[in-house]
Amino acid sequence: MTKSQNIIDLNEIIVRKGKGLLLEGISLSVSRNEFVGIIGPNGAGKTTLLNLIAGFERFEGTLSLFGHRETWMRSRETRLRVGYVPQLFQIDPAFPILALEAVMTGAIGRLGLLRSIGRGEREKAMRLMEMMRVDHLADRPLGQLSGGERQKVSLARAILQEPDILLMDEPTANLDMAIQKEVLNLIDEIHKREALTLLFVTHDFNMLPSAMRRAVLLNRGKKVFDGDINTALSGNTLSRLFQYPLETFERNGRRFVCYG
Amino acid sequence: MAEHLIEALTYAPIQRAAMACVLCGASCSLLSVFVVLMKMPLIGVSMSHAAFAGAVLGMLLNFNPFLSGFTLCLLVAGVLGPLSDRTDMAPENVLGIMFSFLMGLAFLGMGILTRTKAGALNLMWGSLLSLSGSDIIILALITLVLVLFVFLFFKEIRSVLFNRRLAGASGVPERLIYYALLFLTGAVVSSNLATVGGLLIFALLVQPGATALQLTYNLKHFFLISAASGISACIFGLIVSYIFDLPSGASVVLMATTIFATAYIFSPKRRSTKLRKENLSHENDAR
Repeated sequence: MTKSQNIIDLNEIIVRKGKGLLLEGISLSVSRNEFVGIIGPNGAGKTTLLNLIAGFERFEGTLSLFGHRETWMRSRETRLRVGYVPQLFQIDPAFPILALEAVMTGAIGRLGLLRSIGRGEREKAMRLMEMMRVDHLADRPLGQLSGGERQKVSLARAILQEPDILLMDEPTANLDMAIQKEVLNLIDEIHKREALTLLFVTHDFNMLPSAMRRAVLLNRGKKVFDGDINTALSGNTLSRLFQYPLETFERNGRRFVCYG
Repeated sequence: MAEHLIEALTYAPIQRAAMACVLCGASCSLLSVFVVLMKMPLIGVSMSHAAFAGAVLGMLLNFNPFLSGFTLCLLVAGVLGPLSDRTDMAPENVLGIMFSFLMGLAFLGMGILTRTKAGALNLMWGSLLSLSGSDIIILALITLVLVLFVFLFFKEIRSVLFNRRLAGASGVPERLIYYALLFLTGAVVSSNLATVGGLLIFALLVQPGATALQLTYNLKHFFLISAASGISACIFGLIVSYIFDLPSGASVVLMATTIFATAYIFSPKRRSTKLRKENLSHENDAR
């Protein structure tokens, strides 16, 4: 890594879908241990951006992770270093997996084929469940947990993988306000305790983890702002970028956005 | 009656049928765990029809029906695999088209064949009593490979069943597992044309897994319950068909349905889920 300490480097990335463009020439650099919010309205290309870093999406342009050029096909080693927390997804309540087992699926890729999950991994998984305050649910079927509980399991699962980058795709979507806040606090705690580079995708300006200092605003496949979160959350910037009257106000040192 | 059955077991064709029953039940029901938990019954249908159509065409062109069935299965798997990785078309529609195309192909072959060969109908319904020794050996080998696959890659299988995308993102070779699975589906389905036949096999690809889904949250038990219910459907189905002189494939399938219905009615999971839904979910969120 002679060029820089950048752990993620995107240069003029284009992602096509049919005849349209999902991303139109995005460049972005993220350095180690940064906590970056990728924020924008529906259809801005936030999830596409995250997916292409995760290796789920074909693209044009150059992408480097940890100083190495990557295509959308990734080696196991690279995949292991990039964790992924999806949006809350549906799971059949009868599906045969317990919460602890779901967390432990995070370690399976790291262990490799033909090696069994030892007691050490199990203990690590339990510790992470404790950190996420879901250790009391370890023996419950995952499908019977509430949405908030499942997202906490999902966070624990992603950390057990021991990645260097953690990608989060609207991890608090479809949760109640109180649970959203709780999950955001846990994400702050993860950032504090684990040496991780975090990318957090959201469309909600008002539900942001407080450790997130940098915001990348996307609109219609283009990067329209990259900088300090408080500058991003100024009424003028937002109204101009999204061509919609938005106002901001400050409370307890944090900025909030509402309709103008 | 028991004496009568034991006496029947001294005949070689009945012995082979009994063995085939256990193997057919085991192989189909292990696969059905994947079919049910990955929610891919249509893939199961398409594969079984591919095997069926391939075998019919094989008979028509004087090839070994097992090999031609297996070949067409692999071709279909080769199309289905990449297809399910694409997001720009609904796989259900393509599967529906593929399934009806294969069905048309099979019936076209049948129409030509029944005028010349009576054996063609057996591919449709299966015929446990006219199995050869090599049929049994092929079936046994494929069942063994499937058992080894489940045993050796159990933890990867768990993570792929849970969520393919997440498994891939965390460094599990999910494609390898998925394609191995499609390959094994082709092998199991085509080797079982001789036992339960190309049409009825679908029941055994869904019902044992669906039965286990009613009964356990433990994935190991899930495989075992599925296998037990598949094997017993085959054995008891065969016994019933022997006693009442009924078509064996049909008896097996109806037995599988009976076992599923019993599991559904007495499902402890269904009851506890209902209770939990009413009482617990809000409580959990309030925590």
